[in-house]
Amino acid sequence: MSSSTAPRPGSLSGLTDEEAREFHSIFMFSFVVFLVVAIIAHILAWIWRPWLPGVHGYQTGMLDHAHALVGHAITFLT
Amino acid sequence: MYKIWLLFDPRRALIALFVFLFALALLIHFILLSTTRFNWLDGPQMSISAPQNSALPAPKN
Repeated sequence: MSSSTAPRPGSLSGLTDEEAREFHSIFMFSFVVFLVVAIIAHILAWIWRPWLPGVHGYQTGMLDHAHALVGHAITFLT
Repeated sequence: MYKIWLLFDPRRALIALFVFLFALALLIHFILLSTTRFNWLDGPQMSISAPQNSALPAPKN
């Protein structure tokens, strides 16, 4: 067992501890950027057309209020 | 958490992730295009279901 800072040539991926740490920081940053873009896309798509109908179809869904709420939230944030 | 990259090769993991996300995105987009409500190119389509079988000859008794 090596310490956490020592190189690990014997690791399954071949990466050292430091390399894994560095790659992880890049990976997590990219993941968060992707997540933010996806969340914005979903908010825009929900504003365009919500995808959860009520029990009586899309026209009478309770989420129509959520639709208006998202619209208000967007105008409030911008 | 970063120790996951000691187990999985980052190159293979990235390729697998990109291929999976691309296939998933393609699937979702085509499913949405196939619907009436969420087709963003043609818009809502009126269903033309009545005259589908009208060209068939009348059944003989």
